[in-house]
Amino acid sequence: MDDDMVFDPSLKKKKKKKTGFDIDAALAGEQGESTSVEAPAGTGDVDLPEDDNLDLDNFGKKKKKKKKGVFNMEELESTLPETPPAEEPEQQEDEVIDDLDLDIDFSKTKKKKKKKNIEELVLEDDKGEDQENVEDVSGDLWSGTDRDYTYDELLERVFDIMREKNPSMVSGKKQKFIMRPPQVVRIGTKKTSFANFTEICKTLHRQPKHLLDFLLAELGTSGSVDGNSQLIIKGRFQQKQIENVLRRYIKEYVTCHTCRSPDTILQKDTRLFFLQCETCGSRCSVASIKSGFQAVTGKRAAIRAKTA
Amino acid sequence: MSIQNLNTYDPFADAIKSSEDDVQDGLVHVRIQQRNGRKTLTTVQGLSSEYDLKKIVRACKKEFACNGTVVEHPEYGEVLQLQGDQRENICQWLTKSGLVKPEQLKVHGF
Repeated sequence: MDDDMVFDPSLKKKKKKKTGFDIDAALAGEQGESTSVEAPAGTGDVDLPEDDNLDLDNFGKKKKKKKKGVFNMEELESTLPETPPAEEPEQQEDEVIDDLDLDIDFSKTKKKKKKKNIEELVLEDDKGEDQENVEDVSGDLWSGTDRDYTYDELLERVFDIMREKNPSMVSGKKQKFIMRPPQVVRIGTKKTSFANFTEICKTLHRQPKHLLDFLLAELGTSGSVDGNSQLIIKGRFQQKQIENVLRRYIKEYVTCHTCRSPDTILQKDTRLFFLQCETCGSRCSVASIKSGFQAVTGKRAAIRAKTA
Repeated sequence: MSIQNLNTYDPFADAIKSSEDDVQDGLVHVRIQQRNGRKTLTTVQGLSSEYDLKKIVRACKKEFACNGTVVEHPEYGEVLQLQGDQRENICQWLTKSGLVKPEQLKVHGF
């Protein structure tokens, strides 16, 4: 499907947003894109329902990402009336949405800031909608009747349209990659247990050994998997700290570097690890796990006794 | 309109730039290690050998009010060690002093 190609750049850009906050670049990319996807503009109203309820639930999440959306929306609305609605591409569009909407929600912390803009954004959306409604007769609930549309209806409509035109921007329908948080418990004073280690390995589709290597290298300690399939790490660690490391792992070794899809396979090829994406087919090498320099923290006498 | 031939051209523009880049090549790994109790150790690995690590460590010790040392490692070369969790500090300091570019820094640990 060649629409894929159209959307790809914005996806890449989006990634940047999360990590590097390169909002301008992302905006540029998305705007350019929004115009290209313009054709099926107002037509989406026909298939309104689908996941309206879901939609509302997701609002919180959606908005967080949408700071830039404020900008983009205006663009969208302004270009709208010029383009005649076309019926055919709709189908395709929908498929594309499904394809691309795998998204991973690492950036829980970062998103919070953007929440404030929700109200603003929604208001703006509404204004744009009103104008558009006049010219654009479509399959809305209120189209034939005299009654005023309600706020919720308008809201749904806005997001439907947005989803249609710019599936990558509106994360509303995005399937978040939700993981159970790691259960981290202290054992005694010096060890930490990571209880659902194997479970997490399963959800990430990675070998426990690989994740184990990474965790231990990053934390600079030693540890092992015990009989109850939980990971025992030497040293004191909190759940948050483990989460951070896991997030880094996912970013580097689980999500596709091109399209951010978590649907990937890690293969070993001539001593190098390659990440093969099942969604977009890209294949790239990933950094090998190295623990690097480890300073002497224990008793030097003990080491000397061992070696001598 | 501009006439290309009349433009001033600096033949060394590239050379100067690349020589600057060469001083620090490769990633600088900043790690943290847990010691006994709440104590930690920060190690900085991968700083270019062109730099005088002893001077760097002297400056860092003063700046962060911690002790530190330079350790020689057969594989990784000279490695900087600082007491306590100095990851933030060292990253800021290295970029501010222009020794390392922010994209060359890699912070490990929790």
